[in-house]
Amino acid sequence: MLDVEVLTPEGEVFDGEVRQVSTRTEVGEIGILANHAPLLAALQPAELRLHVSDSEVKSYAQSHGWLQVFGNRARLLVEEAIDPDDLDAGALKEQLSDAEQRLSESEKGSADFARAEKDRDRAEAFLAIAG
Amino acid sequence: MANQKEVRSRIASIKNINKITRAMEMVAAARLRRSEQRIAALRPYAEGMRKLTRLAAEQAGGLPRVPVLDEHDEVKRVGVVLVTGDRGLAGAFNTNVIREGVRVRDRVRGEGAEATFSVVGRKGVSALTFRKLDVRTSYVGFTDRPAFANAREIGEELTARYIEEDLDRVELVYNRYVSPLTQHVWRQTLLPLQRADVIGEGAEEDGAEEGEQTEAERAQSRSDWEYEPEPEELLERLIPEYVTISVYRALLESAASELGARMTAMRNAAENAETMMDDLTLEMNRVRQAEITQEILEVVAGAEALG
Repeated sequence: MLDVEVLTPEGEVFDGEVRQVSTRTEVGEIGILANHAPLLAALQPAELRLHVSDSEVKSYAQSHGWLQVFGNRARLLVEEAIDPDDLDAGALKEQLSDAEQRLSESEKGSADFARAEKDRDRAEAFLAIAG
Repeated sequence: MANQKEVRSRIASIKNINKITRAMEMVAAARLRRSEQRIAALRPYAEGMRKLTRLAAEQAGGLPRVPVLDEHDEVKRVGVVLVTGDRGLAGAFNTNVIREGVRVRDRVRGEGAEATFSVVGRKGVSALTFRKLDVRTSYVGFTDRPAFANAREIGEELTARYIEEDLDRVELVYNRYVSPLTQHVWRQTLLPLQRADVIGEGAEEDGAEEGEQTEAERAQSRSDWEYEPEPEELLERLIPEYVTISVYRALLESAASELGARMTAMRNAAENAETMMDDLTLEMNRVRQAEITQEILEVVAGAEALG
């Protein structure tokens, strides 16, 4: 088992022991088990799954953030971690097309472009989770 | 002695003041509750970002050039971010933070550097402009309910100016919320990270246990840590985010402090008005009694003269 803490600017979402944490970094899918080597990673929007026990898995729609693993303790600092049931597919579709529009209008490499790209990735990932 | 009419109109005006200050107290109290919740929710996240950044930056020693991590050879220009409120009537809230801002300017001058200000809140802008200080950028209109976008705008500007070497150091001065009665003026170095309290004592809110853990993390550093992506790239993205979150925290702390200070100030004002109304009512009775006595005396005197 390892200690996991999930923090967002709106408060703590989870704090407790789990068997496994799975989410996605820039490099790809990642699964953290107990006694993982120290790790610092940038997280991409994905479905965050906390395997509390063999039968129980807590799932969150997680946006961009950071992951620090050290001494059998994982701390996730993410912009959002939402219950998938609370996702609104309609609103997400709107956000996605809005982000795509901004992406096509802004200059590559600019701050606006980076923000639009980020918003698009989030909307895409959340839509996939909302199903 | 004042006559009845004068006293009566003073009572009426004090009564109005009492009503207005009571209403302002209630408004501040209602909004303070939300503001308190927001800052309480953000604190653990902001602390987590601070520790994460400290860790990442410590291990970056000897990395190839990462502009935002570079410590400039000479400190000539210091950016001071001063967080004040848009409105007054909040006790010493604005005065205290502005005074600290001016003190920081004096200290920076003592080091042989120049200070330029980025000011949040109308009160700070007008106070510093009046003192003819260098207000480079001002951000107004949101101090009672700051949004994350406000912090991002400020944070991005600071990071960009630091990278362009328009600034050699960035200081953040704001009121930290403790309770409606207490706010502490807080000063914090944001950039360069080497000077920032990210690395500094780190004493802030760390318990002994956290301190030990950090020691252990340090002992482990460099050798066994894994990074995704590579440390240079990770830091280049983490640091601007750290700056923005720090600014966001300062905005929320300051908003809660402003509402708390206003609530307390307005409560005191309303209570003073009530005391004053009591005193004036006594005075009013005395004046009326004096006038009645006077009239009776005149009647009696008149009757005696006729008799």
